[in-house]
Amino acid sequence: MKYFLYWGCSLEGSGANFLVSLKPPCEALGMEFLEIEDWNCCGASVSYAGAGDLAIKVLNARNLAIAEAEGGYDVVAPCSSCYIQMIKVNHEIKENPKLLDEVNACLSEGGLKYDGTLNVRHIQDVLYNDIGVDKIKERVVKPLTGLKVAGYVGCQSVRPYGEYDSVNKPVVQDRLLEALGAEAVPFPSKIKCCGSGIFLPEMDYCMVLVKNILEDALNHGAELISTVCPMCAMNLELYQGRINDKYGTDFDVPIVYLTQLMAVAFGMDMKKDAALNYNVIPPERVIRAAIG
Amino acid sequence: MENMVGYNPSFAEEVFQNVHSGDKIKMCMNCGVCAASCPLREHMDYPPRQIFSLIRAGKREMVLGSEAIMLCTSCYACVVKCPRSIPVIDIMHGLAHYALTKGYMPRVETARFGTEFWKQVYRLGRVDEKDLPRRVFFAGGFVEGIKKMLSFMDIGIKLMLHRRMKLLPERKIKGVKSLQKMLNKAEVLEKGGAVR
Repeated sequence: MKYFLYWGCSLEGSGANFLVSLKPPCEALGMEFLEIEDWNCCGASVSYAGAGDLAIKVLNARNLAIAEAEGGYDVVAPCSSCYIQMIKVNHEIKENPKLLDEVNACLSEGGLKYDGTLNVRHIQDVLYNDIGVDKIKERVVKPLTGLKVAGYVGCQSVRPYGEYDSVNKPVVQDRLLEALGAEAVPFPSKIKCCGSGIFLPEMDYCMVLVKNILEDALNHGAELISTVCPMCAMNLELYQGRINDKYGTDFDVPIVYLTQLMAVAFGMDMKKDAALNYNVIPPERVIRAAIG
Repeated sequence: MENMVGYNPSFAEEVFQNVHSGDKIKMCMNCGVCAASCPLREHMDYPPRQIFSLIRAGKREMVLGSEAIMLCTSCYACVVKCPRSIPVIDIMHGLAHYALTKGYMPRVETARFGTEFWKQVYRLGRVDEKDLPRRVFFAGGFVEGIKKMLSFMDIGIKLMLHRRMKLLPERKIKGVKSLQKMLNKAEVLEKGGAVR
């Protein structure tokens, strides 16, 4: 199955372990990824400060227009910010056809046109609905037996549209973790926000959000936390030291991408394919204990 | 009685005309679910519900000078919970954008972060994760910039050691000129215009 993979800016930098670990297991499941030629940034969550809403829509419509002209395969956006920004254009032009005209008036300045025919998908959506848990289970050679994982969904990967999972009680990530043999622990903070794109400028306010999420995961027995968002991964992992300094806690919880766990469970290379060496808080010890 | 304010439609009209989704505040019934679902509610001077009431009451300074309009993490919890399906986030973002075009600077750090972010997207077509913080840190002057750079050095080194930092500067996308033409056109068609 062919897809456009719109990985976005973060996955080439701070979220590199997501991109590295995404391709091998997904390709092993029969997915084929194409790049959107000369793609641009989605604008993420903070561009509104500098740009108006239409400009941000145009930014995303440019990528969609190129993908539409290049074959029209579903666009998979692993970064939740890219996902929400892209899917929002599609939703809003359906509700408001005048918006599509405005967007196209802008795209035509660069010789592009978007007809609104593309589907934008989240990586969890594709894994769960196109591939399915049965096929994933079949591919598992090193089940993550007994590994207690808190599946952290965050916000923008399901909200607000709930395209493939419940916005209030999402289950897809837990089902995928279970397909890998792991134990998805109950985790009430699953859909609580980590501070997202404004964590850096509003760190004083956002650290407590991350502290509460980490605490909740540990209180429910998690040994590590899985995520599908580069902002969640960064905010949850990189600032644990600062949170410990500020609140007198002693967090040292590995934060991994769901795809890293997939690569491990599929028996792939821990470094080359699962990119575990990219993690700042090493997850190898707990993972090795599970796969034996 | 001194806390009671009447309706003053002039500012509300300004918001309806200039702020993205601004007219949707008409649907607000002041239930407060948006505030209850917001992760940063306790830091907001006025939660969204109250912002909408202040707009209706014509309190221009209080709204455009409010910190709350820039404290949105874009988590969409309020949008999902709102019983009237108001795009609360779009309105908060729209208000913040409008406030910045009018010279207000609610939440300086976030305003700088967002403005520099957009400048970079416009200039390159992409975001350079190492260059952006540097620009944000130094936006408040050289000394402040150095202090902030030093305080984030540990995070930068960790990312670099774990291969999570692109070492080369981000290059412009090939179609950056054509992208800029599209964005310029969007600015012309847009309510409010861009922040320069």
